[in-house]
Amino acid sequence: MNAKNIFKVCVIGSLGMATLGLTLAFNASIAAAHGERSQEPFLRMRTAQWYDTKWNPQKTAVNDEAMLSGKIHIAEDWPRAVVKPNRTFINVGSPSSVFTRLSSKVNGTPMFTSGPMELGGDYEYVIKLRGRLPGHHHIHPMLAVNGAGPIAGPGGWMDITGNYKDFTNPAKLLVGGTIDTEVAGLAAGLFWHVLWGGLGFAWIGWFMIRPMFLIRARVLAQEGGDALLNDPVDRIVAFGMLGLTFSLIAVGFFTTDHTYPYTVPLQAGEPKIKATHLRSDLTMKVLAADYDVPGRALRMTLQVTNSGETPLSIGEFTTAGIRFLNKVGVANNLDPNYPAEIMAQDGLHMEDESPINPGETREVKLDSRDSLWEVQRLMDLVNDPEQRFGGLVMSWDASGNRHINSIAAAIIPVFTRAAGI
Amino acid sequence: MALFRTAEIIKASKLPPEGVKLSRMIDAVYFLPIAYLGVFATFHMHFDLLAGDWDFWVDWKDRQFWVTVTPIVEVMYPGAIMYYFWTFYRQPFGATLSITGLLVGKWITIVFAWYWWANFPANFVMPATMVSSALILDCTLLLTRSWMLTAIFGVWAFAMVFYPTQYAIFGYSKQPMVVDGQLLSLADYMGFTYVRTGTPEYIRIIEVGSLRTFGGHTVWISAFFSAFVSMLVFTIWWQIGHFVGQAFFWVKGRRGVMSRMNDVMIVGTDDFARRHGTPDGVAPKLSAAGTFAEGKS
Ligand SMILES: [Cu+2]
Repeated sequence: MNAKNIFKVCVIGSLGMATLGLTLAFNASIAAAHGERSQEPFLRMRTAQWYDTKWNPQKTAVNDEAMLSGKIHIAEDWPRAVVKPNRTFINVGSPSSVFTRLSSKVNGTPMFTSGPMELGGDYEYVIKLRGRLPGHHHIHPMLAVNGAGPIAGPGGWMDITGNYKDFTNPAKLLVGGTIDTEVAGLAAGLFWHVLWGGLGFAWIGWFMIRPMFLIRARVLAQEGGDALLNDPVDRIVAFGMLGLTFSLIAVGFFTTDHTYPYTVPLQAGEPKIKATHLRSDLTMKVLAADYDVPGRALRMTLQVTNSGETPLSIGEFTTAGIRFLNKVGVANNLDPNYPAEIMAQDGLHMEDESPINPGETREVKLDSRDSLWEVQRLMDLVNDPEQRFGGLVMSWDASGNRHINSIAAAIIPVFTRAAGI
Repeated sequence: MALFRTAEIIKASKLPPEGVKLSRMIDAVYFLPIAYLGVFATFHMHFDLLAGDWDFWVDWKDRQFWVTVTPIVEVMYPGAIMYYFWTFYRQPFGATLSITGLLVGKWITIVFAWYWWANFPANFVMPATMVSSALILDCTLLLTRSWMLTAIFGVWAFAMVFYPTQYAIFGYSKQPMVVDGQLLSLADYMGFTYVRTGTPEYIRIIEVGSLRTFGGHTVWISAFFSAFVSMLVFTIWWQIGHFVGQAFFWVKGRRGVMSRMNDVMIVGTDDFARRHGTPDGVAPKLSAAGTFAEGKS
């Protein structure tokens, strides 16, 4: 290696080091979530209203069971820009299959395949999981809507401890016996891939050991070249290869058929799951709503009528899986395990906090104010094609019975403080 | 007697010994790093875009679409590559080269993307293999020496043996099981148990449509349909090979006029030689003194 070459290598090397250095300097922050905040606000606030979400337990050992459960209200005011939920699947949003899913029930019905959901309907899901890949994982319930894509619910952290090597996922077969889905059929699959791959390479190799291109092209261009290249030994080998191929296919097919005498086709049904419906003694009508961009607040004026028999206090407003609570909400509905980063315990404000009495109609000014609007990027609502919001308002009576109202209305952005109502 | 006709062929090529040596080096450099890598990279991408999901997931391997789509897509590259290797070199390994190349790409993806990066077990993302079909296709071309017969018989067999070949690999996944009181095949359950966040269940395109009359013999109806479409697709891609693999020759006709000869199918046949003479007539712009064919240029 002469001096010039050494110099060249040094230049290339230092350029490489510089690139690496710049990459590390600008790209060293760790991505903690997986993009749920980048979904448009109207998609998160007006499609699926997630509530009572539970990640239980928050620490699971490999092979142990965990549960992801909660409820989902399909908004009545489903946006025009999103395909209606005619074919949906309640899914788990996780960084690859860190858990395996053992069972998934929606309103008590198993949901293995996708099915329709009703606008305005409520669905309770219980997903049984089994710890698979150790780590600290952000897990979301997810509503996947055919044509609209996955809509992420609130994300919570779940830890899996132990060792992946110990993981097994036994599955009971109908005809008896148990197999592990991690390795079932693996040996047979590898065997046939290696066998066929080997035969394929052998076939190519048979022609590689002789002159391949230039010489044959030159011979082919001459009189009698085509016949000369038609080597009789190749024809014999080709007949042999044909026979071997058909025999191997037959052997593979019939032995497999013999090994598994009872088989069923893929099951592609469509569960029609019956919805339940929210019940509330309150009726709510949004009279006006605005969106204070600099103040990070959603301010609404509601006309609330209590047609029940007990006084009710508003305690929570929840939208896009983000919860705004006041003292009533904290007293009645504070799940200490709910992720703090998507809950504002002092985020809900009213001028008049007294309960709404039976028979009373009141105009309630309800503010949900917190930096979460900014952090969770719901502020971006101002960029949406339809300026509307939606959410669930929860109220409680003195004995802790919950009443839930789904609200939705047009919303006006307020860009400067001076212009506020 | 020698096993191969290699000595005669080399003699007929009229290359000096150093030319023969050089041609073998060209074979090595051209075949492995250029032809093979090029085919496996582009065919893999092409295939994954058109039929990827049916091949990725065990719970997509149905009796209808998987059986129909895979042969149709996998016969495309073999059509063009077989045209090229057969027409210019009479090498009968175009299909096997394409399909093994595809599988090399597939397995790199399975090991590094699916298994190592995304942590799916290898059985869940096991690909189908069409090497058996490719061998049949190549052998048919070698034995019939006719692309038309290859398209009719070879491609028909190419598609028809797809399901029986795969059955040895995926038969286990059709075993029934009962989960939460519902009948599932093991494949369905694996698709359910391994969480795929971006690939919800409804993405599956399985067993929909009207191709399942005839007493439930869905697989064979699909395979027949696939075989006929594959024949058409094969001939189209053979023609694409013809279009892309352009080689034309300047031919001096009987009256001494030079004309461009596009029909490379005919070049090298005895009939061609009878009509146009050889080798002088086929070499490009020959000088009177030395010819390309004698290794002096
Ligand atoms: Cu997340």
